[in-house]
Amino acid sequence: MSDQAAPVTRAASSGGKSTRRAKLTAYALVGLIGGMGALVAAAQPMYRAFCQVTGFGGTTQVADEAKLAALIIPVEDEAAAGYVTVRFDANVNVKLPWRFRPVQREMRVRIGEQVLAHFEATNLSDKTIAGTATFNVTPYKTATYFNKIECFCFTEQVLHPGETAQMPVIFYVDPEIGKDINAKNETAITLSYTFFADTDQSQARKADAQRRAETKPVNRAGING
Amino acid sequence: MSELAHAGADGGHDHSPRGWKRWAYSTNHKDIGTLYTCIALVAAIVGGGMSMLIRLELTEPGIQFIEDFQFYNMVVTAHGFVMVFFVVMPALIGGFGNWFIPLMIGTPDMAFPRMNNVSFWLLAAGLVLLVTSTFIAGGAGTGWTVNPPLSNADFHPGMAVDFGILALHLAGASSILGAINFITTILNMRAPGMTIHRMPLFVWAMLITAFLLLMAIPVLAGALTMLLTDRNFGTAFFSPEGGGDPIFWQHLFWFFGHPEVYIMVIPAFGVISQIVTTFSNKPIFGYLGMAYAMSAIGFVGFIVWAHHMYTVGFNVETRAYFVIATMVIAVPTGVKIFSWLATMWGGSIDFKTPMLYAMGFIFLFTVGGVTGITLANAGIDQAFHDTYFVIAHFHYVLSIATIFAIYGGIYYWLGKMSGRQYSEAQGRWQFWITFVGVNVLFFPQHFLGMAGMPRRIPDYPDAYAGWNMVSSIGAAITLVGALLFLWILYRTVTAGAPAEDNPWGEGATTLEWTVPSPAPFHTHEVLPEMGDDMQPAE
Repeated sequence: MSDQAAPVTRAASSGGKSTRRAKLTAYALVGLIGGMGALVAAAQPMYRAFCQVTGFGGTTQVADEAKLAALIIPVEDEAAAGYVTVRFDANVNVKLPWRFRPVQREMRVRIGEQVLAHFEATNLSDKTIAGTATFNVTPYKTATYFNKIECFCFTEQVLHPGETAQMPVIFYVDPEIGKDINAKNETAITLSYTFFADTDQSQARKADAQRRAETKPVNRAGING
Repeated sequence: MSELAHAGADGGHDHSPRGWKRWAYSTNHKDIGTLYTCIALVAAIVGGGMSMLIRLELTEPGIQFIEDFQFYNMVVTAHGFVMVFFVVMPALIGGFGNWFIPLMIGTPDMAFPRMNNVSFWLLAAGLVLLVTSTFIAGGAGTGWTVNPPLSNADFHPGMAVDFGILALHLAGASSILGAINFITTILNMRAPGMTIHRMPLFVWAMLITAFLLLMAIPVLAGALTMLLTDRNFGTAFFSPEGGGDPIFWQHLFWFFGHPEVYIMVIPAFGVISQIVTTFSNKPIFGYLGMAYAMSAIGFVGFIVWAHHMYTVGFNVETRAYFVIATMVIAVPTGVKIFSWLATMWGGSIDFKTPMLYAMGFIFLFTVGGVTGITLANAGIDQAFHDTYFVIAHFHYVLSIATIFAIYGGIYYWLGKMSGRQYSEAQGRWQFWITFVGVNVLFFPQHFLGMAGMPRRIPDYPDAYAGWNMVSSIGAAITLVGALLFLWILYRTVTAGAPAEDNPWGEGATTLEWTVPSPAPFHTHEVLPEMGDDMQPAE
């Protein structure tokens, strides 16, 4: 790169220094490709972690015991805007033959208070099916303050043919929302779920086999009748 | 014909294979460059033919020719893939890059000639796979963004999408190998005295492009692999039922996809810089600014990807960031536009065909850039997303601007590549026909988009009839220009006047004009030593 390069032709010295330098460059570039490859390989867990931490796309928070212990519910004050309306929304993916609806359409919730709400799911098919619900809240900016303590969406749900189940969710809205200038004026938060059939139906098969073993005579009678 | 004789005369001890082996086994940068140019030409006929099918169907409201809508989806998708990966990239990067990087920096060949050969044939295999995919199970009708869930096994159960994915894998591997070759060559094998800050801007452009390729293609490859396993092996990276997220695909795709548009246009910047300085008979204005503007565009290009996905529901802060970051790109781009204008300013401009194309590029790239600023606004994009306004925008910058750079580059370098010079009168006709054609073709699409006409749909309400007819007429004019170009190319190569070593006169100062036309099989065997005036010191 120096201006006063030696007056010899590089071709004459090829196989020497320049080849080694070329190889070094190539290895460095392969390293760069490897680095980008590693980033992509790590992208999925990173994206998940990013959504959980930032509430991106309305990803709600999960409250652990430490968080609950630290939770201070503000003193009840009717004058302060200490309440928020939580609306409930339930959807089912077309490939899952379930009916799924919220038991209550909306609730007026005191900020900081732990609230229990119910959803109800019915398996309309004649097969045992395992499903998992995805979830988010809107407006997205409230997601970091929307904490779930217990939720049916944390685990896989199995419903037998025709079975109806009540599915509880326990949540609270973090009082910190009052300090966020973007989110504090929100008066309503919509909690939304969508149930999908699990790709892996092994839990459903296991539950089905168990149920058959327990209720064999009844089943047979049922079929004959 | 005369290349072999030259090889004998210049190469001495070198064995130069003949017949099909010369091409199939080639490790010569010029032959490989020619192969790339040829494959781009073939792919351009395929991809261009598909665009004509699209315009034919869209000429009038209602369904005229394409009754199978999946076929229409497939054509739209394949048109995008073919044009991006098998026309623009091979022509600008593989073709001009291989031919002229070694010539311009004064080195006998690329750093890894055998890898160069592998790189080309991977691309050829990719094209075969892509074309094959169009005949399987109705073809891949996913759009070039391959968004799940449309691209997953529910909606594309056949093997077409898998073939498409593997085609892109091969094209990507080809690009990566090519990029390693370019960077290693440019960093290590410049002639004595040719410092980094004295390289022609085309070489700078290729260096930056190669880095973008190295950083973007692995992301595409990773995303495509995830999609492949989602489709075939039961993973759920992009399907919510297994805990995945389709939006995650869009992030990965556009993290590759946005740099990809600069991968296509930065080499075009390089070509245009060479042409403008040559025909203005002036050194390029603001050389360092030009080089680092390209670097800046390349860098910022990696941190603006989400402006392609404003409608997925970002919060306002995220959108604000991506709006601002996107608009920042206008600054280095402005540096380039104004530097080209300043290069022309006061120059003794020679309006040869390549220069007409370069000026057309500058004008129309600016038009496309302005609509880019419009679309960068998250608020406006809520309305314009997936409309013909977007189509008009990216065809102005890609279909028009980069294709102008390819046309211009071929006219500029054809004499050096083939040893024969095109007819100037024919070239100018070809330019003006194309210039009128592409503007009539794409400008009305802005109006259609603002009126809300969606992309990727073969039918539309009668309200859009007028401008669609105009657009299709523009497509016909452009087609005439393209056919005339093929004819000019054929006439030049078979019966053109012999080209001088330097047909352009004093303005053409780069090293490729110091070697004979056509460039002999081996060049720069004795390295040119560059003096301070950047001319080889005799």
